[in-house]
Amino acid sequence: MNDAAERKLALSHLWVAFAAFIVACFMGEYQVLERSGLIPALESPTVYFASVSTHGVLMAFVLTTFFIMGFGYTIASTSLKQPIWNKPLAWGAFWLALFGVVLAAIPLLTGKASVLYTFYPPIVAHAAFYIGATLLVVGSWIWCTIMLVMFTQWKKANPGQNVPLAMFATAANAMLWLWASAGVALEVLFQLIPFSLGWVDDIDPGLARTLFAWTLHPIVYFWLIPAYTAFYVFVPKQAGGFLFSDEMARMAFIVLAVFALPIGFHHLYMDPEQAKGWKLLHGVGTFVVALPTLVTGFTVIASLEIAGRLRGGKGLFGWIGTLPWTNSMVLSVILSLLMLIFGGFGGIVNASYAMNAMIHNTAWVPGHFHLIFAGTTVIMYFAVAYYLWPILVRKPLFSKSMALLQLWTWFIGMSILTTPWHVLGLLGQPRRISTVVYNNLLTLSWKPYELMMILGGMILLGSACLLIYNLVKTQLSPYSETFTEEIEYAEPIHKVGVLPGYLNNLLFWNKVIAVLMAISFGFPILQFFFMNTFGSSAWGY
Amino acid sequence: MEPMTEEERNNILQSSPIGTFALMAAVVGGMVIAWLFLYYGVFLPRG
Repeated sequence: MNDAAERKLALSHLWVAFAAFIVACFMGEYQVLERSGLIPALESPTVYFASVSTHGVLMAFVLTTFFIMGFGYTIASTSLKQPIWNKPLAWGAFWLALFGVVLAAIPLLTGKASVLYTFYPPIVAHAAFYIGATLLVVGSWIWCTIMLVMFTQWKKANPGQNVPLAMFATAANAMLWLWASAGVALEVLFQLIPFSLGWVDDIDPGLARTLFAWTLHPIVYFWLIPAYTAFYVFVPKQAGGFLFSDEMARMAFIVLAVFALPIGFHHLYMDPEQAKGWKLLHGVGTFVVALPTLVTGFTVIASLEIAGRLRGGKGLFGWIGTLPWTNSMVLSVILSLLMLIFGGFGGIVNASYAMNAMIHNTAWVPGHFHLIFAGTTVIMYFAVAYYLWPILVRKPLFSKSMALLQLWTWFIGMSILTTPWHVLGLLGQPRRISTVVYNNLLTLSWKPYELMMILGGMILLGSACLLIYNLVKTQLSPYSETFTEEIEYAEPIHKVGVLPGYLNNLLFWNKVIAVLMAISFGFPILQFFFMNTFGSSAWGY
Repeated sequence: MEPMTEEERNNILQSSPIGTFALMAAVVGGMVIAWLFLYYGVFLPRG
């Protein structure tokens, strides 16, 4: 890292992210307890839905956005070897986003925004929730601008050179997020805020759900790309090897950023407001976006195989045993990929047009997104934290063995939590319920799985506490003058020559995205403004 | 363990990641089998 100002900026973002995370973990354990009915005194739908909404917002919007911003600043300053452009603006974005979080937290914690993190109308929250969320997003847009300015400035200053892979991925993620967040921004600004303030009497849930679907799938990749960035730029070096292919990594990030956007209607398979042809188009695109994940899996595992063989591994799978399993980054990627396999399978079932009907709005769905997000993605956030924290605070990690224990317990806890969650979905348990107020053979069959989920949640909560304890102790430990570690980026096996423009620039891909978005969302959105609504207000105005 | 020679090291860096191909084939094959099981074993019988 270049200097103390950059480190302070990144660390401030990361602390907000993990503070939100630990609060949300306590809420998560309360929720599985409440839902099981094991402790009758806890049963309260009002508190439950306030908690679920806050848990979802903290995990999906606050942990992710602040982590991605902090991680991005670190990547930009260290990979480009230049200070953050316009640091006062970066701090302004931080405080704006934090103010937005506090503003949204007030109605969330007082039960006036129990609309879940998807906030689908016609249920409506207090206006402060939407305004706070908007400020958080505006803060992230400023971050995107800073990343893209630094990307462009570096290219101008270094003509003909390849942008470092880590920065290419970060800039692609910034581009993705600017496109992705436009959908929810339109929904919030033109529908939800006016509706919540009483400026309009009606709201069109079909249009709102369509705009949210615009954001809902690419946001997952906005969260995931930092994890994939760590896969490509940190893991091979930490494992003692090389990146299998720099070009394949860039291609994977491009396909992720481009094809994550025009596919959101797989969230609307059961909705009436879009025709089946559009859903099929988005469904096909959903399978396309599985390709960069396969490419990433291949490239990262191949990089690990090279490292394992360089460490003496022989035979078809002998290299697995020689990998440095006690390195937190390497352990994390192995556990992350394991969860990605099972979570990815769940995602393929969700995306299958017909089979989606079987698991739609059942407990399978939160089981799936917890495994992919809280499993695959967040475990890499931990790995990055363990790697960056010592460098950011200039002190060694308090306990490496505690970090390994934390990663293993997170993996075990997540497996115990999400496996029964998927089974419950197949057994017909709806999602978004607080308690079951009737008993029959069907609901009684859910009980053992709900008890298993409590155990999984407890292990996860303990694991989360270990993470925070380790980070706090690292931060508070005595300053070490001998600590000199710097971020080390993985080198590709084969030296990368001059890359073609489409692997070193984002302008062309912006145009591709614009065309794809116009095709896949143009008519589906415009139809709301022209369809005959038989006397009712068209879309609120 | 004996230290690796430069030639051995180069051979590793130039070789195909056959273990990765095998793992990926197993994972993709497993996913296809699991999907078919869910489709024919759970989804279709439900009508």
